[in-house]
Amino acid sequence: MDRPAAGASYQRFPRVRIRELRDDYAKFELRDTDASMANALRRVMIAEVPTVAIDLVEIEVNSSVLNDEFIAHRLGLIPLTSAAAMQMRFSRDCDACDGDGSCEYCSVEFHLAARAESDQTLEVTSNDLRSNDPKVCPVDQARAYQQALSGSDFDPNTGDQRGILIVKLRRGQELRLRAIARKGIGKDHAKWSPAATVTFMYEPDIRINEELMETLTLDEKRSWVESSPTKVFAIDPITEQVRVADAEEYTYDDEVIKKAEAMGKPGLVEINAKEDSFIFTVETTGAITAYELIMNAITVLRQKLDAVRLQDDDGDLGELDAHLGGP
Amino acid sequence: MEDDEYEEGMEMGYGGHHRGGHAGYGGEEDDEVGYGGGDGEGNEMEEDEEEDEEEEITQEDAWAVISAYFEEKGLVRQQLDSFDEFIQNTMQEIVDESADIEIRPESQHNPGRQAEFAETLHKISFGQIYLSKPMMTEADGETATLFPKSARLRNLTYSAPLYVDVSYRVMKKGHDCEEVTETSDYPKVFIGKVPIMLRSSYCTLYQQSEKDLTELGECPYDQGGYFIINGSEKVLIAQEKMSTNHVYVFKKRQPNKYAYVAEVRSMAENQNRPASSMFVRMLSRAGAKGGSSGQYIRATLPYIRADIPIIIVFRALGFVADKDILEHICYDFSDTQMMELLRPSLEEAFVIQNQQVALDYIGKRGATVGVTREKRIKYAKEILQKEMLPHVGVGEFCETKKAYYFGYIIHRLLMCALGRRAEDDRDHYGNKRLDLAGPLLGGLFRMLFRKLTRDVRSYVQKCVDNGKEVNLQFAIKAKTITSGLKYSLATGNWGQANQAGTRAGVSQVLNRLTYASTLSHLRRLNSPIGREGKLAKPRQLHNSHWGMMCPAETPEGQACGLVKNLALMVYITVGSAANPILEFLEEWGTENFEEISPAVIPQAAKIFVNGCWVGIHRNPDLLVKTLRRLRRQVLPTQQLGRPLFIVENQRLLIKKMHIRALQQRETPDEGWHELVSKGYIEYIDTEEEETTMISMTISDLVNARHNPEESYSGTYTHCEIHPSLILGVCASIIPFPDHNQSPRNTYQSAMGKQAMGIYVTNYQLRMDTLAYVLYYPQKPLVTTRAMEHLHFRQLPAGINAIVAIACYSGYNQEDSVIMNQSSIDRGFFRSLFFRSYRDEEKKMGTLVKEEFGRPNRENTMGMRHGSYDKLDDDGLAPPGTRVSGEDVIIGKTSPIPQDDAQGQASRYSKRDHSTSLRHSESGMVDQVLLTTNADGLRFVKVRMRSVRIPQIGDKFSSRHGQKGTVGMTYTQEDMPWTIEGITPDIIVNPHAIPSRMTIGQLIECIMGKVAAQMGKEGDATPFTDVTVDNISKALHTCGYQMRGFETMYNGHTGRKLTAMIFLGPTYYQRLKHMVDDKIHSRGRGPVQILTRQPAEGRSRDGGLRFGEMERDCMIAHGAAFFLKERLFDQSDAYRVHVCEKCGLIAIANLKKNSFECRGCKNKTDIVQVHIPYACKLLFQELMAMAIAPRMLTHDMKTGKDQKKR
Repeated sequence: MDRPAAGASYQRFPRVRIRELRDDYAKFELRDTDASMANALRRVMIAEVPTVAIDLVEIEVNSSVLNDEFIAHRLGLIPLTSAAAMQMRFSRDCDACDGDGSCEYCSVEFHLAARAESDQTLEVTSNDLRSNDPKVCPVDQARAYQQALSGSDFDPNTGDQRGILIVKLRRGQELRLRAIARKGIGKDHAKWSPAATVTFMYEPDIRINEELMETLTLDEKRSWVESSPTKVFAIDPITEQVRVADAEEYTYDDEVIKKAEAMGKPGLVEINAKEDSFIFTVETTGAITAYELIMNAITVLRQKLDAVRLQDDDGDLGELDAHLGGP
Repeated sequence: MEDDEYEEGMEMGYGGHHRGGHAGYGGEEDDEVGYGGGDGEGNEMEEDEEEDEEEEITQEDAWAVISAYFEEKGLVRQQLDSFDEFIQNTMQEIVDESADIEIRPESQHNPGRQAEFAETLHKISFGQIYLSKPMMTEADGETATLFPKSARLRNLTYSAPLYVDVSYRVMKKGHDCEEVTETSDYPKVFIGKVPIMLRSSYCTLYQQSEKDLTELGECPYDQGGYFIINGSEKVLIAQEKMSTNHVYVFKKRQPNKYAYVAEVRSMAENQNRPASSMFVRMLSRAGAKGGSSGQYIRATLPYIRADIPIIIVFRALGFVADKDILEHICYDFSDTQMMELLRPSLEEAFVIQNQQVALDYIGKRGATVGVTREKRIKYAKEILQKEMLPHVGVGEFCETKKAYYFGYIIHRLLMCALGRRAEDDRDHYGNKRLDLAGPLLGGLFRMLFRKLTRDVRSYVQKCVDNGKEVNLQFAIKAKTITSGLKYSLATGNWGQANQAGTRAGVSQVLNRLTYASTLSHLRRLNSPIGREGKLAKPRQLHNSHWGMMCPAETPEGQACGLVKNLALMVYITVGSAANPILEFLEEWGTENFEEISPAVIPQAAKIFVNGCWVGIHRNPDLLVKTLRRLRRQVLPTQQLGRPLFIVENQRLLIKKMHIRALQQRETPDEGWHELVSKGYIEYIDTEEEETTMISMTISDLVNARHNPEESYSGTYTHCEIHPSLILGVCASIIPFPDHNQSPRNTYQSAMGKQAMGIYVTNYQLRMDTLAYVLYYPQKPLVTTRAMEHLHFRQLPAGINAIVAIACYSGYNQEDSVIMNQSSIDRGFFRSLFFRSYRDEEKKMGTLVKEEFGRPNRENTMGMRHGSYDKLDDDGLAPPGTRVSGEDVIIGKTSPIPQDDAQGQASRYSKRDHSTSLRHSESGMVDQVLLTTNADGLRFVKVRMRSVRIPQIGDKFSSRHGQKGTVGMTYTQEDMPWTIEGITPDIIVNPHAIPSRMTIGQLIECIMGKVAAQMGKEGDATPFTDVTVDNISKALHTCGYQMRGFETMYNGHTGRKLTAMIFLGPTYYQRLKHMVDDKIHSRGRGPVQILTRQPAEGRSRDGGLRFGEMERDCMIAHGAAFFLKERLFDQSDAYRVHVCEKCGLIAIANLKKNSFECRGCKNKTDIVQVHIPYACKLLFQELMAMAIAPRMLTHDMKTGKDQKKR
């Protein structure tokens, strides 16, 4: 990579190639940019893309075995569909209400009422939460609704369709509460983080020294290939040549390099991490789709950069200010 | 009674060394196996044998046996059995052994009336005792069964009433010698309440099903073994003592007056007297000053001031001839060495050649002074009969037995002096006995019952003397026993209140921090000796502790090595009566002293029962064999024993088929005890262990059979069930303890007791003063086999955290850790904290009573500054109230008697006695209990709850003694991450590892990684064949770097970290020490009333001590002003006015500006002096003692000043 001359523009034009995109999963390549950019994107995805989560719980009746704080904490961790979160206001700077959550711009109200009448243990799950805003509801409810719409066979009690367990009630026990969900970011509390996993790897550049490799016997080759815990290399069954099976499987564990050295063949393989090529893996909690997560992350990142740029001018941090909950 | 043993101290007359004992397995067995022959042939033969017979069991099968043991016995069997023994036998024995109370009326001077009868005798005897189930009598007189739950909640005592049949007889003898006997029987007289141990056979929970227990509000995992006294759970700690009635010979460190000392602490059975010690000492060879050259041997007798030459003791016992005496000591006259050693003693006693003279010699040195010779002789005789060696006998005609025993003591002493036998080991565990709940309560009960009978006697005597009707119901004061037992159990002072010779700390409050800490507490031992003595030996781990005491679990510091914990499979037996064994011995050819001549002793073995020499046997091998066989079939009756597999012919007696039968059994009654009674397993105590050859593993035994040449022993008698069972409760939780430096296991054993988890399943139904419960406890990913029996999976105390060992940002230096804030947000190590407050409406006088209610500022005096708003009308804060700081949670007032004498009394009619929350805590009121206590007074407990979220400063630890506090919390995006996107929950510093050598933690981590990957539990039991290489290979196949390293990326920058990071799941514990409970600072604040110096301690908002060393520092720096500020201005600065004339404190009225020293009539020469208040206090105290401390404010030295005045 050529370094630009002094005074020249450092601007680069990153390229993105999406390899796989599902509702809660995405894998894409990010090329022609620096680690700082990639890491900023990763960090924003984890900690700064807003979602909605239960933040305030008013318990009317709770005769369950778990105490009020326990249940409130569990409710907070239930992922809620947050497609509208970017457009919502943070309740701390909502001017339509005084922060008590009773306002459509910044909060969503939930109700839960359950009472075990029979001798069988009653499982209170996220499915029992009733939202006053159809756009915001527990993610599994939304998925069940979607499936029902698409007409697929839907049985609410199978597999992962049962909802997220909140508490179990025994005969006579009751739980009744009102909960308010608000917008927030993962930096403040992990419950607002839309990301389950966000990670990237530097694309490895693997070069096998074919010449040296040919000096190995088949058994040696095999043992060398097997020295890597992941399936990076393979032996061609016909030509008996070692080839790179999947470079991205490589975890930079240096096992093959050490093995080569132990076999007395240093330099058998050369592996370098490409400095400007990243492979991202993104999984979401379901609060927003992986696509939304990436796009929102870029939006937030841009807002932050805007704020930095504008800082020189008048010190007004604009939307970033709002985002960070500035003065 | 706890000394009951089938047989001990078997000595081989010919062998000399007692280790010869296990030669008992010689002979025929050797021939069968044929070790001597060519191994090829031998092996073939053996393999054939193996095919014929059942196959050998494996180490895995041993765990089935272990499970059977715990299923049947549980972990607190020693406590329960000991208590049951007390209830079922000891109590009745104590009642039986007390003699009848006989009362004769003291002749009263009664002129004008002659007694109707010449002689009357009142006789009271106690018969059968009856114990009911635990009961409780309410204040209104209603009686009902008591359950432990309500005893705990209502601060009651879980005790059962004890009744006894009393018969009262009056025997009147008329003047005509006609006897009239009036008998009246009082069946089942109530004599007191006995606290009942939970889950013992008299407990209401005895053998209840798990479901019933849950319905009774009990935790099914709770094993009992403790008492409930006034609502608090009390454990009796087993007390270690030196075993009595044993002869110990010690060599004295020279230079010393004595060369060798033999001692016996003799205690007769069923005697509540301190042991009577006898010392037999051999003097050192001639001192430097010349003098007599002899190594005289002398004995110390009780109540005799001087040491008595042994020969004189013999003569006093009636053995006068030298030959008779020597026969009793040395048995074999051809033993010239020994005879030679006795020569000086014989010469020393040459002048006394007659029993009477010998007795007089002893009597002269007794307590009697200036009495007749006859009395002296009688006194000496009594001492010899009753006080010397009471365990041999205190009746008449015991002289022969006593002489033999006394001779034996000397024999042992000489053996040691001649170097034929090693000196005894004071620390050998075979020489120790343990007093558990049974013997401890027995001693207490004996004392209290005696007191009761004494009181009955004096009451009846008084009645009889005054000619009143005797009412036994009044005579028997049940309170003696009830409150006597309660006092000792409640305070731990064993013995009567305010009486010397009581032991403190015998009963302790059961630790309920974690389930493991509770279990460990129930298996604890204490050695009362040692104290501050810096002697290291009793604290050290002794060979004989193997398998009996946990080698790791002991406290650090003062009590190190003195407080011990039982190993897992150890059982302390309760003992049985000696009589059946004596009969048995007789039957099997034991000859007693009457039948034998001393000359045969060297050829036979001496037989001791409970330290008492009962006779000899000419074929000890056979006797031992028979005894062992019989014992295996009957019940084990040892001291502190542990089970072992029995080996015969290098082969376990237990076979695969027995294991299969065990695993397939349906009824629980064919479990463990079946294996014992069938003789596959037996209990071996520390003393018998010396005569066994134990193979460590089953495979050692197999190897020994196949390669006899290479094997360690050809005569194994037993095999360990599993070597990991040498550990105790707390050490059994450590994974791979065999890979750790040993002190680390000790540290973890102490720390595991502070870990939070779920301490009992019924914690919501309990009102413990302090309780910690983890939100999401997890069972460990890496476990040990023993954990199963400790219910660690069901009641865990920790979380499988993802731990990285890395330097990252530097916030984890010096034993701090970095914690993932996002994990914390998600509930990582969140815990609940409960604190209960209690109060009751006390009675003040007969009519006035305190009252719960909301105090009113209008009419209540001395109200606190906290808020009273949280109280309901009933004076209690309702559940769900948020409380903080010094909020009042229990409102209580007491009426003030209206005294018109005081003018201001009119306004106040009540005084406040409310309870407020601790000022540093806050939370929610969780539960309120309002009930009545034993006195029928209203009684309340309020439980406060708060959530404790991990924060900087909280303490955590792994299971390897690696504790650390949180130094920083980072959110997920700031944490380092792996290619898979995993971020650690905890980052510990690599510097914590090399010097501490806790390799176990590293192995736990990689095994945890494999276990998580494969969805299995990892087995980290010590002393198994798991190797790091095996785990590494498994990890490699899971697709990870085999040693657990991973490439990680910096969360802040996204760059690859240069070093690979060791990462994996490690079980972590949250310890109870949290910053919020420790944080403290103070500017001004409360002071002590007496000295006006700042109060001490965080709970009182006290000051931080500026101590001596800090003071030294300031002096070294010359910071005098700072020092004065700290020690004076910021402490107890005070000013006094001093008369310049007399130097004493003068009267000063600053308002009127008048100063006066009355003594000097001085109103002008008065100065103000700044002194500490403590100094002023000292001066006043001195003045109270008539010492006048004068403060001279002028410099006395300068003559100028003097002249001026």
